[in-house]
Amino acid sequence: MYRPQKWILQAIQRGYRRHYVHAYLFISPVLLVFGLFRVWPALQTLYFSFYRVELASHRLVYVGLENFIDLFHDDIFLGAVINTFLYAFAIVPISAAAGLILAVLFNERFPAKELLKGVYFAPMVTSTVAAAVVWWWLYNPQYGLFNAILRLLHLPPSPWLLSTKTALLSIVLFSIWKTVGYNMVIYIAGLQAIPSEFYEAATIDGASSIQQFWRITVPLLAPVTTFILIYNGIFAFQVFDQVLVLTGGGPANATNVIVLEIYRQAFQRYRFGYAAAEAMVLFLLILIITIIQFRTSRRFEVTY
Amino acid sequence: MRLKIFWRIVIFLIVSAGALVMLLPFYWMVVTSISPAPEIIAFPPRWIPSHIVWDHFREAWSRAPWLVYYKNSLIVATVSVMCSVVFGIFAGYAFAVYRFPFQNLFFLLILGTLMVPVQVTSVALYVFLARLGWVDTYQGILAPNFASAFAVYLIRQSVQTVPAELLDAARIDGAGEVQIIFRIVVPLIKPVLAAVAMLLFLSSWNDFLWPVIVINSEHMRTLPVGIALFKDPYGFINYGPLMAATVISIAPMLIAYALSQRFMIRGIAMTGMRF
Repeated sequence: MYRPQKWILQAIQRGYRRHYVHAYLFISPVLLVFGLFRVWPALQTLYFSFYRVELASHRLVYVGLENFIDLFHDDIFLGAVINTFLYAFAIVPISAAAGLILAVLFNERFPAKELLKGVYFAPMVTSTVAAAVVWWWLYNPQYGLFNAILRLLHLPPSPWLLSTKTALLSIVLFSIWKTVGYNMVIYIAGLQAIPSEFYEAATIDGASSIQQFWRITVPLLAPVTTFILIYNGIFAFQVFDQVLVLTGGGPANATNVIVLEIYRQAFQRYRFGYAAAEAMVLFLLILIITIIQFRTSRRFEVTY
Repeated sequence: MRLKIFWRIVIFLIVSAGALVMLLPFYWMVVTSISPAPEIIAFPPRWIPSHIVWDHFREAWSRAPWLVYYKNSLIVATVSVMCSVVFGIFAGYAFAVYRFPFQNLFFLLILGTLMVPVQVTSVALYVFLARLGWVDTYQGILAPNFASAFAVYLIRQSVQTVPAELLDAARIDGAGEVQIIFRIVVPLIKPVLAAVAMLLFLSSWNDFLWPVIVINSEHMRTLPVGIALFKDPYGFINYGPLMAATVISIAPMLIAYALSQRFMIRGIAMTGMRF
């Protein structure tokens, strides 16, 4: 066997000894900027949530749990939490299912496939704000295109964003359009990892395509689905851009969501301590949802 | 066989119909922006304008300093991408190649920032930056995006695929660590770096919540902030200029996307990153 010369080993060893310095030097820029602009504000948020913050006079008044107690009696905040849950529970499964169906369809062979894939993905690269401005126009009850199409089909027009009953649903529709391309791309990547032998064997055994979908595709994509549900869930709880543009939280707070509520309390009413308490609730919700989804989805995961 | 072709046609038709629905908002945005004013609100809708008018664009262009918005978005996105990628290369290399005390703690700390997005920390971050005097400045807009946990994670993953013998050989030849990174590692992981850079650029370009918080003055606005505030004074029906403004604000990114569609989609599939 070839043995490296002693001086080579020493050189390598010397190299590794030096590497503590290198290691800390190399990770220090990331640690510095994250420490300053991510970790420190996160700790400050927790700290502020127990205080009344007066930014102009640089004064902090300790109020204990008052902010949190107020939160649980604040109907607007509780409404925002409920709306955020409704939004997340609507958008996450629908967008994931639509993405899966599209991915399965795109697994077949047909003309102009890449172009069509690109079309479904286009809303993803468009700024949410600009796209929402366009949809705001489409949703216009009098002159908007959506009601014009409904009229052409002899269907009753919808008030879309202007009614407490349909406003949140309208935002969900927008978000499905916006995000379905992402889920589709992730699922397509997942599908390509499934060996085609599974389908060939199932076809020989006489399984129909529907059976193959439920018995092969869905179980084998379970890890991808887990990823998509968790990731989309986290994003759904942070929804803000489209709500601000489409409704501003209205009508009558029917579409108010947690991040919008934080934004209003902090930057329109300057109640930083209260907003910090709301932000802590948001953080806890994201944490809990992630843990629950990890736990439950692991049970459904299958490996062949 | 004939059945198979039949199904292919059916699937093609379904997918195409869906694609038309996906395109509809884009199409209507463009049609509204070039239609004569009465046709915008006509019923039944005028799918093709009788003639093209540029008045809406002229008005939209004169009502807001779009070139300034472009410039701001470009500066913020470029600096954010360059810092995130360079810092990410160094940190990703360190986490992949070295073994050092508190390595896992630091790595988890960096990944942990993904659980605490700016949506959660915006309040305290704003107070902190106000004290630094960074509100309404480029460095203020950039603050939470000087580094990316995603970039560190993805670069670490791909550096781990580089054989250690290669790095050792370079060390024996007397290469310094920085030299090794830029001469050996970076060329090997270029595809990942390109995908990460592209996705970070997109996310910065379209970022809204933090910029709208930290920007006060018009000359600091990025494109998304500009278009959002452009919409506000339009309580009355004046959708032509508004749609022209959205065309102005999203056209560069859509053109870039049209030219590099495969690359962008492959980047998402490769990294799983959403923005």
